[in-house]
This record gives sequence, structure tokens and C-alpha cells, in this order.
Amino acid sequence: MNSGKIIKISGPVIDVEFKDGKLPRIMEALEVMTDAGKKIMEVQQHVSGTVVRAVILSESDGMTRGMPVTATGKNIEVPVGTATLGRLFNILGETIDRKGDLPEGTEKRSIHRKAPSFSEQTPIVSVLETGIKVIDLLEPYPRGGKIGLFGGAGVGKTVLIQELIHNVATKHGGYSVFTGVGERSREGNDLWTEMNESGVAEKTALVFGQMNESPGVRMRVALSGLTMAEYFRDDMGKDVLLFIDNIFRFVQAGSEVSTLLGRMPSAVGYQPTLANEMGELQERITSTSHGSVTSVQAVYVPADDLTDPAPATTFTHLDATTVLSRKLAEQGLYPAVDPLESSSRILSEEIVGAEHYSVAMQVEAILQKYKELQDIIAILGMEELGEEDKLTVTRARKIQRFLSQPTFVAEKFTGIPGVYVPLSETVRGFKAIVSGEMDDYPEEAFYNTGTIDDVIKKAEALNA
Amino acid sequence: MKSNNSGNEIRAYIYSDVPPTAEQTARFSAFIAGKYGLELTPEWIQSDQYKGGFCLSVGQDVYDWSERGRLKQLKRKLKNAALTGEVIPLIRKAVEEFSPEIIADEHGQVLEVGDGIAVCSGMSGAAYGEIIVFQSGVRGMVQDLREDSVGCIVFGDLETVSAGDIVYRTGRTAGIPVGEGFLGRVVDALGSPIDGGPPITPEGYRQIEAPAPGIVDRQPVNKPMETGLLVVDSMFPIGRGQRELIIGDRQTGKTALAIDTLINQKGKDVVCIYVAIGQKTSSVARLYETLKQKGAADYTIIVSASAGEPASIQYIAPYAGAALGEYFMYSGRDVLIIYDDLSKHAVAYRTLSLLLERAPGREAYPGDVFYLHSRLLERAARLSDELGGGSMTALPIVETQAGDVSAYIPTNIISITDGQLFLESELFFEGQRPAVNVGLSVSRVGGAAQTKALKKASGALRLDLAQYREMEVFSQFSSDLDEATKKRLQYGQGLMRLMRQPQYSPYTQAEETALLVAALNKVMQDVPANKINTFAKGMLTYLKQHIPDVMDTIQASKTLTSDDQSAIIHAAKEYLKEFNG
Repeated sequence: MNSGKIIKISGPVIDVEFKDGKLPRIMEALEVMTDAGKKIMEVQQHVSGTVVRAVILSESDGMTRGMPVTATGKNIEVPVGTATLGRLFNILGETIDRKGDLPEGTEKRSIHRKAPSFSEQTPIVSVLETGIKVIDLLEPYPRGGKIGLFGGAGVGKTVLIQELIHNVATKHGGYSVFTGVGERSREGNDLWTEMNESGVAEKTALVFGQMNESPGVRMRVALSGLTMAEYFRDDMGKDVLLFIDNIFRFVQAGSEVSTLLGRMPSAVGYQPTLANEMGELQERITSTSHGSVTSVQAVYVPADDLTDPAPATTFTHLDATTVLSRKLAEQGLYPAVDPLESSSRILSEEIVGAEHYSVAMQVEAILQKYKELQDIIAILGMEELGEEDKLTVTRARKIQRFLSQPTFVAEKFTGIPGVYVPLSETVRGFKAIVSGEMDDYPEEAFYNTGTIDDVIKKAEALNA
Repeated sequence: MKSNNSGNEIRAYIYSDVPPTAEQTARFSAFIAGKYGLELTPEWIQSDQYKGGFCLSVGQDVYDWSERGRLKQLKRKLKNAALTGEVIPLIRKAVEEFSPEIIADEHGQVLEVGDGIAVCSGMSGAAYGEIIVFQSGVRGMVQDLREDSVGCIVFGDLETVSAGDIVYRTGRTAGIPVGEGFLGRVVDALGSPIDGGPPITPEGYRQIEAPAPGIVDRQPVNKPMETGLLVVDSMFPIGRGQRELIIGDRQTGKTALAIDTLINQKGKDVVCIYVAIGQKTSSVARLYETLKQKGAADYTIIVSASAGEPASIQYIAPYAGAALGEYFMYSGRDVLIIYDDLSKHAVAYRTLSLLLERAPGREAYPGDVFYLHSRLLERAARLSDELGGGSMTALPIVETQAGDVSAYIPTNIISITDGQLFLESELFFEGQRPAVNVGLSVSRVGGAAQTKALKKASGALRLDLAQYREMEVFSQFSSDLDEATKKRLQYGQGLMRLMRQPQYSPYTQAEETALLVAALNKVMQDVPANKINTFAKGMLTYLKQHIPDVMDTIQASKTLTSDDQSAIIHAAKEYLKEFNG
């Protein structure tokens, strides 16, 4: 075995000297034995003829200079295949659910792989129904496409992703992979408990590297989850759902180690390699002629700033984007999806059909008009508006409220049971509002409801 | 003492009062030859520091064979013995069996020092995060291991550390003594009491940096941490093991809210820890007095790293507090920890990082400022039953500038915690105290931890109020409001009034339930807004007189039956008549 020794430690970045000059490859895994057990590092750079710079995938506490290091000759590898279903893993593919080891001979794959080639790509054509009105109507999710949920802190990204797991993964029937990147361990526990109760866990592999773990872990754990999903797609020809919460943390972890690796910082202190790192990861998440990967990625927006380099770089890779807004959350309108900021590449007449498309366009137009009128209302008051504008405002406010709906995930907090609204019902409901059929119903009746029939029932209850 | 590892050549020195005899020198040479395989004759240096003995230094190693050195060895032995359970027999054994050994102390030398950072040579075996001791007794922590030097942060007075000083390794990573004895005390970030009281006998020693409980080491949060504040318990309930951020501008009552919660834990078997970071010492002293007056000091530990302490001390203070909390959590107890506040903590860390020459990012904070807080707050958890089922609830406090919650540090911490209570200065000055902004505040897990009674009573209160606020803004310029809208506005206004609550006057669960039942069933609809608080107070007294059994049942069973609910509504209406009449 090729071995060297540690000569420098700077947080998670460690320099290792291999005296005989036989340097381990970049991306090769290194092992070091400490009092606290075996630790793994990954080579990032060769800094001289005898020294490599590596990032450690655990805490650096207790590491000393002079410790012997062994080059493994392999990349970091994780188990793949059906044995991973129903299990909980860490970044190294070790089980952390206390249900024992994986069966002997489970295949392992390197977490670094090439993205599928141009000839393997398949275009997207169909809609994935989610049962969430605002999404299905205004920014339908493509089956086999890539979906991003953008939002600042505490506007409901994780709730929405869990709602999607509830609505889509349970109905999906195929395999799912959930990757927790730099999020709360408490959520990991909640999700694990919930998935086991609902039975979704049996068809899901879960990989976690949460926010209490070192940057090296958060920087690589997305790849571990992705590798498992790729196996289902490429080797088993399955249609896979891949959930990543949260892809921003992957970028963030990269920036934490970047300057320690000796790179100059780029805009707002991010790593200069941001776009490449994101590209390499995102290009692997795609549907091919073998099978499809539908991915839902939560993207944290630091300081509520959508122009921050991390979310801005992510936008280009997505087929549908859902932007969550703090303003709507503040008004109690959940899911707090901003209907005008969000978009989907498949919202076109050819794919969603003429009726759906025209209703969606009218809804957007009314909301856009209301947005423009808001300044006038704030300065002059409702009375100053013309009759037509007044009607637009009341319809827009009804639409805004009708876009909210109770979720299954939030049921245990709010006590209000969640609803799943079929796409046809969604289109029918909004059609009724924009056509003026619902003009006589009070605004309140639209708030937090499922189908348009629920609105009518609620209005009756309010009048009674 | 001379540095002897300049270059690659290893040298040996002997320090003593009188020159060694030729026989002694020969023995030293033999020892060096045996231990290091080197042919060296130690050079004698006159020193009066090593009374009753001598000190031999070879390369990086120091053999202190003076009275002081032997005492130091005994002290270390006793310290180790005292940490393992049965103290006295172990100490006796340690003393009886003590014979000085020839142990090498690895040492280094200060090369540069300034601004709280020291760069030292030597100490090749030093571990990342290890505590080191400077010649003057001041401690430091290893933060950077370079090829030929070690970067350390210094915990203490820099005036006593100078270039050329000797530094010793301790072989331990930073830790803090812990134990029951800390309850009721005020300590510094290294665990030494600063309240003038007797020394504390520790029961253990915990690393200040410890990994957070893993995913399967936890269980869902489902037990309430009652704050006694109606606005929090009804709409933003906090569960044991939850992290709830308290955020707002200065002077909006953030600390008051946290302290109210702390005081409300009296008699509920919760250990409370208050970590003051970068605060005025006088504020901490005043707070300690208040806790004593309210009888809350006995179950509270105050960890204080005041504004005058070096940035390094402020940086480790919250981790030290968390280590203290973990001691209780892992023994199955429930802990409440308040970090006041983490914005000052982030600033202290930024200072250190910039001084250690790490590249600045957004707002000049280093790239790992998120990790700084995430690894701290993740240590608060509800443990699984296999681990004893203890919990640590964290209430971090963050100060915003001009109400900007979307700044960098606030959003970072919001994205770590399980919710936030946003306090607004506008509300505060309107007299709405606690000044909680209902729209922007949230509690992500507490709903599951709310008692059945409160959950049933509060219903959709939060969403109602959020809608009320939106309607209030929308209708503020309209002159002719219809009757229904007016009613709804009045109802919302009444609810907001009801949420006002003076400091140090917590409600019980039954009282909160009764108030909510009465309010949400619109008993108070026609009470003028400025009389709501008088009405509420009178109503509670009335209920306690007329339906005491109902109130007691709710308090004890933590549930609310429909019969109880109607009884409350009925009694409240009776009181309303009395109130109006």
C-alpha cells in the first residue's frame, strides 16, 4: 500500500506528503487511523511532486502532523442496487439506521462518474401531476425533468418537498432516492420516521450529510445519492425520483474549503469553480434512453437574494422553477409559491393542451395586472379604480387565495387535513374564477381550499 | 528557555542553579543516547527557576525534574483521578502510588504574537483543536497546523505572552468541567466561576466541540416547552428539543422574551443555561439578580463571555454552554439553552478568521460562518429513548439592523433553526408587547408538541391573524367599509390586544386555553380594544372562582372536552354581562 504522512492541517484541508513521489490520483480516497477511528480524505490537488492536498470527510479535531496516511487506490464508493432501498446511508455509503450491514457482495460504485453523452439524452414531453394547484396550473412539472424549489430561509421549501414526496413518491410506484445535503438532522429523523410509517421507505434509498457535518461531507454527499439513482436508471432501466434537499449547501460547502485549498475567492466569496462544480453535478442528473430521473431540488436563496451566484447558477440547469416568496408566506398563503416568478418549460399549448394553457395565461394576466394596480391602490385607495380594474382586483385576490391549499405534511401542525387536487379539477376551478362565474362568492371562501366545489361549500357555511 | 530546534540539528540544554557535576553530565548523555540515539553533551545554562532539581531539554522535549515539575506531575495525576467516579479512594491511591516519572513535555516557542493570535514553532505532535499553555499560564487553542509552525488563538491576556516564550502542549482538546455543581452559578467560557462563590467540584469533563446526535439518535419533538406567553404558546408553540430563533432589532424585548421563558420553567424540572456573548458585564449581573429574585437562579447556569473578553473567548462560549447542556441532556434531563446573542458570536469569529488570514466572503464573514452556527445548533435535540430521551431546547437570539431579516447572518440562522419569533420595533413602541410579528414568525415543529387543549383552543388563530393584517393594510385607505369587513377588523384588533402580556407574568396552560376559547368564540367581539386586557384579567379571576374544577381539569389533563369548552364560553358570557353592566 502506498502511504504518506500528514504535514499540514488547516481546518478540513489537509496536506499529505508521499516521500517516494508516488502520488495518489486526484479524487482518490485516502485513509488515516486516529484515536476516534478511521477517517477518509479525498485528494483535490497535487501541490508539488511529493505533496497532495486533500479534504477530510469528518472533523479534523485530534488530527496531528506526522500521522500515517494510506492511499486506497480507489475513489469513494457507495453501494448501489435494490439492497439500498429502505436504508439510511451516510456519505461513505455506510448504513446509519442501526439495521445491520448490507448483504455481502453488494455492488459498489465510485461517486465520481461521467455525465451521459449527447446521444443518450431524451427530450421531455409529458406532465407530472403533483396535486398542488399552483404548480399544476402555472408551472407544470415535466416527467423526467429537473425541478428547482427556490426560497429564502423559512418560507417552506422543505415542507413543499415533503409534500411532493407524499403526493408523487407514494403514487409513483417506482424507486426514489432522497439526499439530504446540509439540512437539519431533525428533519432527517422526521422524514425517516414518516417514510417508514407510510411505507414509501421500502422503495426509497436515503443518504444524509447534514449541517452538523464537516464541509467535505456536504460537498460530496449529493454525489453519493446521485450515484445510487444513476444505477437504477442505467443498469435497471427504471424511472427514478431523485429528491435533493438542499443543493445550495453543496455550493456552500465548496466555498468553505475553497480558499483553504489555496484558490482565490470569486464574487461574494464563492469559489472560482462554482459554475463548473454545479455543471458537473447537474449534467449527471438527466433522463436518458435507458431510464428517466425526475429530480426535485430545493435551492436555498441566501439573504433572500435571487441574484446571489449560487441560486443564479442553478437556474440555467432546470426545466421548471418554483420560487417561494416571503411576502406570501407572511400573508399565510401556503404553499407560498410566487406565481409570476415561477416558470416551466413545458407550459405550452402543445404539451398541456389548449384549455389548460389559456386558463393559465388568463390567471397570470390577472395577477400581473393586480400587481401593477397595487401601487395605485396603496396611494389612492380602491375607490379611485375604474369598474373594470375593480373587478380585476377582486378576481385576482380570489385567485391568490384559491392558489393556497392545505397540505398533508402540515396537517399535524394546523389540524386541517391536506388535499390532493387532480389537474382537471384545478383547471376547472380557475376557469370558473376567470370567467366570472365565481364573482358573487366572498373572498374568504377561496382561502385554503381544494377544489372549486369546496369553495362553494365554504361560502355556504360562511353565509349560514 | 532557549529554543533548540532551530534548523534540523537537535541540541540539548541543562538548566539548574548550580552546574552539574561531571558524573551527572555523563548520566544525562547516557540518557539521551539511550532515548534518542544521539551523541550529545547537554550545555549548562544557569537558571534559578528549577529549585531543588534541574530541567533537561532535548529537541522539542522537556524533562522537568525540579520540585515544581514533580508537583505538576502529581497535580496531573490527581486531576485525572478526580474525573473518574469514586473520587476519594482514587485520590488516595494516586497519592500512595505516586512516584515521579520521567515524562517528556513537548514544547514550542512563540514566534509571533498579536491581536489574540500566536504563531508558535515546535509542538510537532500538536492536534487540531488542542489546548496549549503559555509560559505565563495563559491558555490557547490550536487552529492551524502548518508545516513548520502552529497558529493558535489565545484565551486571555496578551500582555503576558511575548515572542520567545515557551509553550507547552496539554494533550487535551478544549473542554469544560461539567456537573450538578454548576447550577445556580455564573462561570466564564472555560468553566471557572466568576460570581465570587466557592470553587465548583466538577463531575466530569466534556469536549466543547462534540458531534451532534445523528439522525437515528433522535426522536420527533413532541413535548411542550411552555413559555407562559400566550402569543408564543398559542401560535408558535415550542417543543422540547426544538431550536427557535428570537430575532429583532435592538431594544425590542428579545432577551425579555427568553428570560420569561426561563423563569416559567420553575418547578418543571428543566435545567436552564444562559450564554451571554459580547454583552455588558453589568447587564449580565442585573439578569443574575432578576433570576435570583424570581427564584429561577437555582436551576440556571450563566456562562458569560462579556464584551471585554477577547474574541477567542467569545467564540468558544456558546460551545462551552452546549457542552454543559449536553451533560444534562445525556443524563436524560430536559435542558433549555439561550444564546444571547449569535450575531455578536459571528462578529467574534469574523475577527479571528480575518486575523488568521482566511479569505472573507459576504459581509466579510468567512465562508464557514454557516457551519459555525449549524454545528452549534444541531447539538440541541430530543434524544431517542435508547439514549435516555433527554432534550436540549435552544433559543438563539439574533439582532437585526433596521428590521432587515433577510441579511446574511439572520437568514443563515433562520435556515438552521426550526422556526423564528420575529420581534418588531414598531409593534414594540405601539405597546404591543411581546412585539411578535405574527406574519413573519413561525414554529415548524412545535405544533406536534402543543398540548391537546391548547391546540384545540387555538385552531386557525395564526392564519386568521395573518389574514387580518393583510386586510388591515388593504383597507386602510378605504372610507366606506362594509359591516362584515369592519367586524372582522375589530375582531382581529381584539385578538392582537389579547396577545399583549407584561413581563414576568406567565399564564398557565389552563389560563391560555380559556382565553383562546373565549376570544375565538367571539365572546370579546364587542369589548372595546383598549379594555380587552382588563376584561381578560377579570375573566380569568371570574373563571377561577366560578368554574375552578374545569380549569383544574384542563391544567392537569392537558385536554379540552367540548363540555369544558361550553362551560368556559358560558362563564365568559356571564362575566361579559357583569363587565358591561
